[in-house]
Amino acid sequence: MRRLAAFVTALVLLPASTAFATELDELLEESREASYSAEQVITCSTPDGVHDAVIELSQSSGELHVGAPVAPGVELAAGSGGWTLVREGAVVSSANVEGTGDVPEPRYSVDDGADTEYLGRDAVRYEMAGDGVVRAELVFDAEIGALLRVVTFNGDGSVYCERRFITFDPEAPPPGDEETTEVVRSAEGGVDSDLPDTLAGFERLDVYEDDAGFVFAYYSDGFFSFAVFQIPSLLSIDTGSPVTLADRVYTRSFSPGQVTFAWETRSGGMAMVGDLPPDMHEEVLAGLPAPQDPGLFRRLWRSLFG
Amino acid sequence: MTHLGEMISAYLDGELSRPEIEQLLIHLDGCGRCAADMQDAQIVRSAVRSLPLLELPAGLVPEAETELVSLHRNRGFLVGAAAAVVALVIAIAAIVTPSAATVSLEELNSRYGARASLDPAFGPAKVVVPDLAQLLE
Repeated sequence: MRRLAAFVTALVLLPASTAFATELDELLEESREASYSAEQVITCSTPDGVHDAVIELSQSSGELHVGAPVAPGVELAAGSGGWTLVREGAVVSSANVEGTGDVPEPRYSVDDGADTEYLGRDAVRYEMAGDGVVRAELVFDAEIGALLRVVTFNGDGSVYCERRFITFDPEAPPPGDEETTEVVRSAEGGVDSDLPDTLAGFERLDVYEDDAGFVFAYYSDGFFSFAVFQIPSLLSIDTGSPVTLADRVYTRSFSPGQVTFAWETRSGGMAMVGDLPPDMHEEVLAGLPAPQDPGLFRRLWRSLFG
Repeated sequence: MTHLGEMISAYLDGELSRPEIEQLLIHLDGCGRCAADMQDAQIVRSAVRSLPLLELPAGLVPEAETELVSLHRNRGFLVGAAAAVVALVIAIAAIVTPSAATVSLEELNSRYGARASLDPAFGPAKVVVPDLAQLLE
């Protein structure tokens, strides 16, 4: 009887968010296991304007293959720590990492869900919220659990990005072996870093360093994520425009579903790449080393000697 | 009246013959302008002669009797010139050196995308989309 009372007490005292968070994990995990092919439209409203794309997706065994109708020779394979971009049969860039950090406890919860229809299929729509702010709307296929549509919101409730399938085929065969591309190991775990363990509600999960001297840390809050890069040489991304956040000047570049910030410090170049909504950018960047002009001689020294 | 300015300079330099000196002195007795020029020239020369003599650093000026200057005596000059050349090269390098190493977004994306593919939220909501416009260039 005492054990039963303790169990009931534990259930009552268990935070509701923990129970919901588990459900969010389960929904996302089920979505990863689904096999299908689809066409997806990505539309993001950013401070720099609208960025959109139409891509072709096929998912099997947790791996995604991505193509684009406007770029028939370009193909991306991602999953299980690998990422390979191929153009006309040649690898443009690739990386392979091993996750070492624990999965963070999501700071978001989902509601009980509401039945709906999407692309003529039964689906369930969930709202994902954290700290009383709705951050995403997720529509999952009721039969196989695939994530059919996701809308992410800024803190003020405005839409940041919408990713929605416009075609969906759950019977499509998984991609063949010929589409699998060799990935190149470029990072190892276990690197020390002075980057913060937590940053604006995000947890640092891993730190990597590769042969090119790129040190990067991966942060996640259970849904959104970003990577912070520390590069010994100076850094300038090949796109982007200057932007001032909290009196700090960065180079910022948006692409569909993603943002990149780059800046210089006394010790080298830094960059932040992630899918977090714009209202989170300033708080995250405020927790990182501030942009600083390295000065003529440091610039010259790094240019001459690396 | 013809004035004898050139003869005054020559006189003060001790370059006139005795007949020329007598001719100059007779002229000065009757020419106020040349007498004044003579007086001014003497004042200037006296002022110059009264300046203190400074000892020049050794090696700065080659000895007068040496027509061929040996290199080791100009070491200071050569070191200075070499430093100037180095400074010039550095300045030019600083100007022409690219301000930063350019990193493509794909290099960052590949690393971020690889790690994000391990994320529980990975999938259609999170896949990193390559910059198609750049790849098609």
